[in-house]
Amino acid sequence: MQYTVHFGQVVKYIPYLLGGAWLSLQIAFLAFCGGMVIGLAGAMAKTYGNRLLRGIVNAYVTFFTNTPQLVQIYFIFFGLPQFGLVLSPYEAVLVGMTINAGAYATEIQRAGFLSVHRSELEAAETVGMSLLQSVRYVILPHLAKVLYPPFSNLYIIMTLGTSMAAIFGVEELTGRSLNVNATTFRSIEVFSITAGLYILVTIVASFILLYLGRWLFRVKGKVF
Amino acid sequence: MGRSVKFFVVALVSVLALGLSMAHAKSLDQIITAGEIRVGVNPNQPPLGFFNDKNEVVGFDPEFADAVAKKLGVKLQIVQLGSPDRIPFVSADKIDFVMGAMTRTSERAKVIDFTVPVHTEILGVLTTEKRPAKDYKDYKAFDRPDITLVEVRGTTPIAFIEKNLPKAKVLLLDNYPDVVRAIAQGRGDAHIDVIDFVIKHTEAHKQVKWRVVETPVTVYYCCLGVSKGNETLKNWLNVAIFELHRDGVIEDLWKKHFGSPMLYKVKWTDWF
Repeated sequence: MQYTVHFGQVVKYIPYLLGGAWLSLQIAFLAFCGGMVIGLAGAMAKTYGNRLLRGIVNAYVTFFTNTPQLVQIYFIFFGLPQFGLVLSPYEAVLVGMTINAGAYATEIQRAGFLSVHRSELEAAETVGMSLLQSVRYVILPHLAKVLYPPFSNLYIIMTLGTSMAAIFGVEELTGRSLNVNATTFRSIEVFSITAGLYILVTIVASFILLYLGRWLFRVKGKVF
Repeated sequence: MGRSVKFFVVALVSVLALGLSMAHAKSLDQIITAGEIRVGVNPNQPPLGFFNDKNEVVGFDPEFADAVAKKLGVKLQIVQLGSPDRIPFVSADKIDFVMGAMTRTSERAKVIDFTVPVHTEILGVLTTEKRPAKDYKDYKAFDRPDITLVEVRGTTPIAFIEKNLPKAKVLLLDNYPDVVRAIAQGRGDAHIDVIDFVIKHTEAHKQVKWRVVETPVTVYYCCLGVSKGNETLKNWLNVAIFELHRDGVIEDLWKKHFGSPMLYKVKWTDWF
């Protein structure tokens, strides 16, 4: 009566699952980049904008950080067609994740802006730096060090969050795992391998982020 | 780093081992002793299972399960699940048997055991009056690259489509209401499944001109799914199902919920 584990029946699907993992990374990367751009605009509006602009950005951030991402994508996927806009599953998930990431990135970047002290800018001015030099040698390195860890975390969380794309018909890692599970019915084996692949994907992403951070911004950190 | 990795691997293996050792199906005696039988029902599959006004799961499946529980003299506990969860719930011993139109296939029988059939299901094609599927009279006409079939993950028609309609594109969603909604919104052209189970969801999209393709696809047998090797429970259920067929209980329940007799009857025999 006990379940017998048969990994042999699932191992042959690993290349198929890896294809899904690649799609997960792709969605996370594109949504992250888009989110960064929205976040930068949002953070600038929140820090330097007028009252109206601040109000709009505040409403956006409050709404998207206080509702589940799944519900947001559900609205984009099934709600927008009622208004005549039909996005493909991939587009709907990408747009949903980007807008969601933008809200979080707005808050992260705003915190970064606030962490640059006026005295640092004054010091740059004193040593005769131009505005561009101040940005390049003072503001950016400072921001990078402050923002790098939370952004790395956001990226990892987003990579794992791509799993909800399966609900909307995107064949990423979780979607493909569910397909393999529906073919083999080897749930324990399939999802053990899937968990392993997610760990692999996030560890690889962590190492890339770590070395990128060290190389570009001299950010100190470790994966383990 | 080395120690962290070792710790992580040991922790993962331990959790997995613990999970496996706990997945132990209840025998018939244990169910009788516990005084309760846990039955998996899909609440998104009317009229087999659906929510009533009081948010209770009702339909053919719960009433059939209730008849089984009464025969066994135990309390019935309905466990709600979706189509892709049916087999994992049995394998992980979350339930004693699963319903939800559990079609008997040799692939599934490698992992779980099946009782004798409870009912049949006739696979058909649900589409709309829109092009390109407007005039198709047979499921084979849907084997075209410009056709998108929308299906529920983990259901039997997917394997059927892969084998018989390889040119058609397939969009896999999570549940039946989403599938019907996706077709209504123009994301796909048709849905191949048991029309009796999905037709109710079309009522939510009255603006769409729905159409059921005339020629049915095939007949499947739906049984109860029990844990692999749980012979005591399976043998008892077989006898119970035989009696429920012989006494006309299943046919009456079918007529009550589907409004007409089962299209293709289960031919119960002396050998059940």
